[in-house]
Amino acid sequence: MKTDVVGSRVLREDSWGKVFGQTKFPADVNLPNQLYGVVVRSPHPHARILSINSEEAMKLAGVAAVLTAKDVPHNSHGVLFRDQPVIADYVRMVGDPVAVVGAETMEIAREAAERIRVDYEILPPIFDPEEAMKPEVPSLHPELQPTNVLYHLPIRRGSLEEGWVKSDVVVEQVYKTPHVDHAFLQPEAVLAYLDERGHMVVQTATQYAHYDRGEIAHALGFRYSQVQVKTLAVGGAFGGREDISLQIIAALLALKTQRAVKMENTREESFYSHSKRHPMTMYYKTGAARDGKLVALQAKIIGDAGAYASWSVNVLRKSAVHATGPYAIPNVEIDSFAVFTNNPFTGAMRGFGAAQTVLAYESQMDLLAKKLGISPLEIRLRNCFQVGSITATGQELTSSVPLDQCLAKIAPYFRSEVETL
Amino acid sequence: MITIEFSVNDKTYVLEVDPRERLLDVLRNRLGLMGTKEGCGEGECGACTVILDGKTVNSCLILAGQVHNSVITTIEGVGNRQSPHPVQKAFVEVGAVQCGFCTPGMVLSAKNLLDKNPHPSDEEIGVALSGNLCRCTGYDKILRAVKLAAEEGKQ
Repeated sequence: MKTDVVGSRVLREDSWGKVFGQTKFPADVNLPNQLYGVVVRSPHPHARILSINSEEAMKLAGVAAVLTAKDVPHNSHGVLFRDQPVIADYVRMVGDPVAVVGAETMEIAREAAERIRVDYEILPPIFDPEEAMKPEVPSLHPELQPTNVLYHLPIRRGSLEEGWVKSDVVVEQVYKTPHVDHAFLQPEAVLAYLDERGHMVVQTATQYAHYDRGEIAHALGFRYSQVQVKTLAVGGAFGGREDISLQIIAALLALKTQRAVKMENTREESFYSHSKRHPMTMYYKTGAARDGKLVALQAKIIGDAGAYASWSVNVLRKSAVHATGPYAIPNVEIDSFAVFTNNPFTGAMRGFGAAQTVLAYESQMDLLAKKLGISPLEIRLRNCFQVGSITATGQELTSSVPLDQCLAKIAPYFRSEVETL
Repeated sequence: MITIEFSVNDKTYVLEVDPRERLLDVLRNRLGLMGTKEGCGEGECGACTVILDGKTVNSCLILAGQVHNSVITTIEGVGNRQSPHPVQKAFVEVGAVQCGFCTPGMVLSAKNLLDKNPHPSDEEIGVALSGNLCRCTGYDKILRAVKLAAEEGKQ
C-alpha cells in the first residue's frame, strides 16, 4: 500500500524553524517589565525549617518579593499523589525549594537568594532503600504509608518449590543500577503572567500541559478554567518533564507580585530539581533444567523512589512485569518495591522501569548458558516468548512475538564471536 | 563599563558593556538573537556555538570584552526560508532535527567546517561536531546531514 503518508517520506514541518534558530523555547520568550525568579534550595537531605530570614535580601534594591512555604495557598503537587511541596518547610531531599526570590534582574535575584538565611534543624537522613523499608524506620510520608514502602507488587505463577526441584542448575546474583539524569539539553524555563481576565498564563516546556494546568490551579487556589498552560518548544524531556519543575513557583510569584515572571534554571539547578531514573537493587535466583529450559525465577526488585512518589508506583510495576525478560518461565515469584529515601526523587525516564531489569535477566541467561555448556544464543532460542507463551502475569501472547525470528536472523553475525566467549 | 565595537551577521554594533558580561548574554539579551541557546553555561554542550573570527566558540565562555573588533556569525546570519544554507537544507532533508535545541550550534559547526574544508572525511566531520552535544540520539543523522551538504556542494 502506498499513500501520501504510509510508504512516503514526510519532512518534519518544525525542522525549518529549528535550523534557522527561530523556534521559541521557553527561555526565548520575555515580556516587558518582567521580574526574574530564583529558587533557594536546601543543601540538606533531611531537615525541618525553623526560620527563614529574608531581611538582608529585601534590603537589596530591585528585590520585589521573597516567598516561602507559608505563601503557598495549597502547598502540594505530584503526578500520582500530591506529596511534594511547592515550597518546602520540611525538607526531604537536597534541592527541595525552600524560598523563591523575585527581582528586577536575574543578577539581583541571584544575589538576593544568597542573602537569605535559612535556619535548619538537621534530621538524620536515610539513603539506603533496604534500610529505609524496615518497619522500625520512621516513614518520610506518614500521610501516604506507615512505612517507607510506597508500593509492593507481588507476582506469583506456578510453584517455586516445584521449580527448584526441576532445576539442574541455579544462578543467584545481585544486580544494582545507579541514578541517571535525563540531561535534556534545554534547562527548565518558564514565563508566567496574569492576563487581562486575571487568568494565569504559564508558558513552558512540558510533557504534560493539561496535568500541569491542574497542578498550578490546585496550588494557587484557581479554577481549572482560570489557568492556561502553553507548551513552547520542548528541548528534550525523556520523562524528566513529566513532573512540575518551576511552573507553580513562577505562577505563584506572578500572582503575589502581579507582574510577569521569568525563571530559568542553570544546568546545576536543573540537576538538583528534576526527577532521576530509579536506582534498583535486583536479587535474582534463576533455575534451568539440563535441556536448557528455564523452570524457576525468584526475583526481588527494590527501587529507590527518593524523596517523593512521582511515578514510582508505575515504574516499579513495570519492572515487575518485565522481570522475566522475554522468556517463558513456569514457576515465578517476583516482588517489586518502591521505597522512600532522602535521595533525589525518581520518576519517569525512557523505559519507565523496564530498562533496569534487562541487566539482571540477561546476565542470568549468560551465566546459566555457561553452566549448562550451551551458547548464550542457544539458551535464548530455547526460552524466548513465542505465540502462545504465557507471561509471569498470566497473559497469553496471541500475536506478533517474532523474537525467535529476530534471533535466527542475527545468529550468523554474532555466533562465532559469542562461541569463543 | 567599556565600549566595544563588533560585527554580528554583517551588522556593526557599538555597545557599552560590563566586561564580565558573557557574549551569550550580549547576543540574547542585548541584541535579541535568541537562536543562540544556553544548555550548560560551562562550555560542555555547544548549544551556544557561534562563529567568531572564523572559529567556532562557545559564547558562554567568551566575555564581552574579548569580542571588540571581532566578526561574529550567529544562526540568524545563516540562510533563511527563501534560500536556506546547504547545511540547513540537509538537516531538514535527512531528519537530523529532533528537539532542535542543539540544532543552531550543530548547523554553525557544520557550516564553519564546510567553509574551510568543503570535502571533509567522516572523521573530520566527527571532530568538527565533537563540541556539540545532542541528547535526542541524533548523531548518526546529523553526521549524514553534514555529509549530504558536502556532497551537494561538490555538484
